[in-house]
Amino acid sequence: MSETFDGRLDVWRDRARRFEQEIEKAVIGQSRAIRLITISIFSRGHVLLEGDVGVGKTTLLRAVSRALGGDFVRVEGTVDMMPTDILYHTYLADDGRPRVEPGALLRKADRLSVFFFNEINRARPQVHSLLLRLMAERSVSAFDRDYAFPHLQVFADRNMIEREETFELPAAARDRFLMEIAVTAPRDAETRRQLLFDPRFHDPDALVQRVEPGSFDYRAVGAVADAIQERVQASEALQHYVLRLWLALLEPASASVSLPDLDVAHLVKGGASPRGLAFLVRAARVRAFLEGRDYLIPEDIRELFIEVMAHRIFVDPIYAMRGDQPVKQLCRAVFDATPTP
Amino acid sequence: MRFALLLLLLLSSLAARAESVAEIHSERPFGYFVGDLIHAWVDIRASADAELQAASLPSPGPLTISLDLRDVALEPLGDDGGKLWRLHLTYQNFYVSLDVRDIKIPGFALILSHPAGNETLQIPAWSVGVAPLREVTPTKAAEAVDYLRPDGAPPKIDEARPKRVAAILAAATLLAFAAVARDRGWPPFHLRRARRFARLARRLGAQARHACADEEIRAATQSLHRAIDATAGRSILGHDLGAFLIAHPQYAPLEAPLRRFFTASERLFFGGAREKDHDVGGLARLAGALAERERAT
Repeated sequence: MSETFDGRLDVWRDRARRFEQEIEKAVIGQSRAIRLITISIFSRGHVLLEGDVGVGKTTLLRAVSRALGGDFVRVEGTVDMMPTDILYHTYLADDGRPRVEPGALLRKADRLSVFFFNEINRARPQVHSLLLRLMAERSVSAFDRDYAFPHLQVFADRNMIEREETFELPAAARDRFLMEIAVTAPRDAETRRQLLFDPRFHDPDALVQRVEPGSFDYRAVGAVADAIQERVQASEALQHYVLRLWLALLEPASASVSLPDLDVAHLVKGGASPRGLAFLVRAARVRAFLEGRDYLIPEDIRELFIEVMAHRIFVDPIYAMRGDQPVKQLCRAVFDATPTP
Repeated sequence: MRFALLLLLLLSSLAARAESVAEIHSERPFGYFVGDLIHAWVDIRASADAELQAASLPSPGPLTISLDLRDVALEPLGDDGGKLWRLHLTYQNFYVSLDVRDIKIPGFALILSHPAGNETLQIPAWSVGVAPLREVTPTKAAEAVDYLRPDGAPPKIDEARPKRVAAILAAATLLAFAAVARDRGWPPFHLRRARRFARLARRLGAQARHACADEEIRAATQSLHRAIDATAGRSILGHDLGAFLIAHPQYAPLEAPLRRFFTASERLFFGGAREKDHDVGGLARLAGALAERERAT
């Protein structure tokens, strides 16, 4: 374990791979989600998790937190939750007088590596706006001073099935998340059999304990992330490729993208923002680093495109009831229609 | 031979001075069977200032129970010191007569306008002779069908011209249909593929004969990428090669050189370094090998 980054990225690549292997001890059949979380950690980006109940999202995050080191705070979104409930701990003391003290979030501020917000769309917009600041600035104001969270990474889970008593995340908050990772039940029959019949998967606490902590020091991740962004090159051909993709997304008709039963010319209403594309390139560089390259290739962009871009793009309300399918279809069609190099 | 029957020579109006005259003519005054058309015409002479009122002409329709007026046409014949009209009348006879007899054709009135007033010109009734088709009591015949006359022979029609026209039109239709099918890519035109790799191999082969600059190698690499994309119908990256070879198994034997090509292209365009053996000659050879497999399909 090293607390400072010594400039040796190849060592860190091995550490990142060991980190993934440690998590795979606890969570099986989720190698793609684990790879995406690793990419988000080294991109210093926040993550939205999307998936059915009981597929192992919380276990995955607890394993990540344990492997990463640092503290873990988990909050359950409810419809009556207010920002103060997250920040402060209020109680009646032994002497019968009310006390207000820093909550778990504030107490762990400088050691906090993973903040997990479960069912974020059950919380009210006031809570979303607190979260917005926490994610954008990695700081909050409480007790008349600022608390900084230098190592914080936010993971949030959206309940996309129920609609009652939920508050859709505003576009600005969604745009702050680096990627939305889909966690689905494994498809492989052998993995499914293990999950159902192997008793070690029935006790999440014991499962998480199997993860060896300290694959690397979470406090050095910031410096490694910066080094990766500097080290991995994007050639001119790749830059043009990303620009063509962006144009095709904004004006699908100009790239002769067409989809059956979708009016592509009026599909995208917004959200394909410069920040989104910048996040995409940032995450793609980390993928190239993990694959052992010091240059970007189109596959880096394509592999992460839907996770990084789909949740920020908002479509014409006429397609809103079709969920995220139109955007995913459009993304695939844009890649099929954009030639490279 | 045409018979002209002068039935009425002179008719003066009761009013006085006008000397309007009508003459009735018919093709023949006798020999009509049931269903025959009787063509008659009335020549009307009148003074130069007379006008025949069209409303007074008889109108076509049934005249009696067995006689129809089928057609009426008025033909002005010019004036030779006076006016002359020829009124063509076509009657049809439906009278089934059992013996030879005359039937009456009813008369009608025409009105001529003069400056001094109207003149009514009465065309009198006249008659034509009709005859039965067969005798009243025919000779006994053994069979009922023997009372019928044999059917007339059908007219002979020359078939050569209609057949030729039909053949020409059928050929034109087939040609037009083939043009539409080619345009829409209907079978069998759906199988027709552009020989992309063959064309590319020829072009690269010509280029490879002289030394190539880096820029030309990049362009050649790109054109091979485009040919592969066009074959797949979508953009193909290195990672898609496996799926491409499953969808187009004819190229599967070339997996190793294709993989080398994608790796070299990746290094060239994104890694900023050209591999030594990546040149136009090599690309031309790969395109040639792909073209051979392309012909096999």
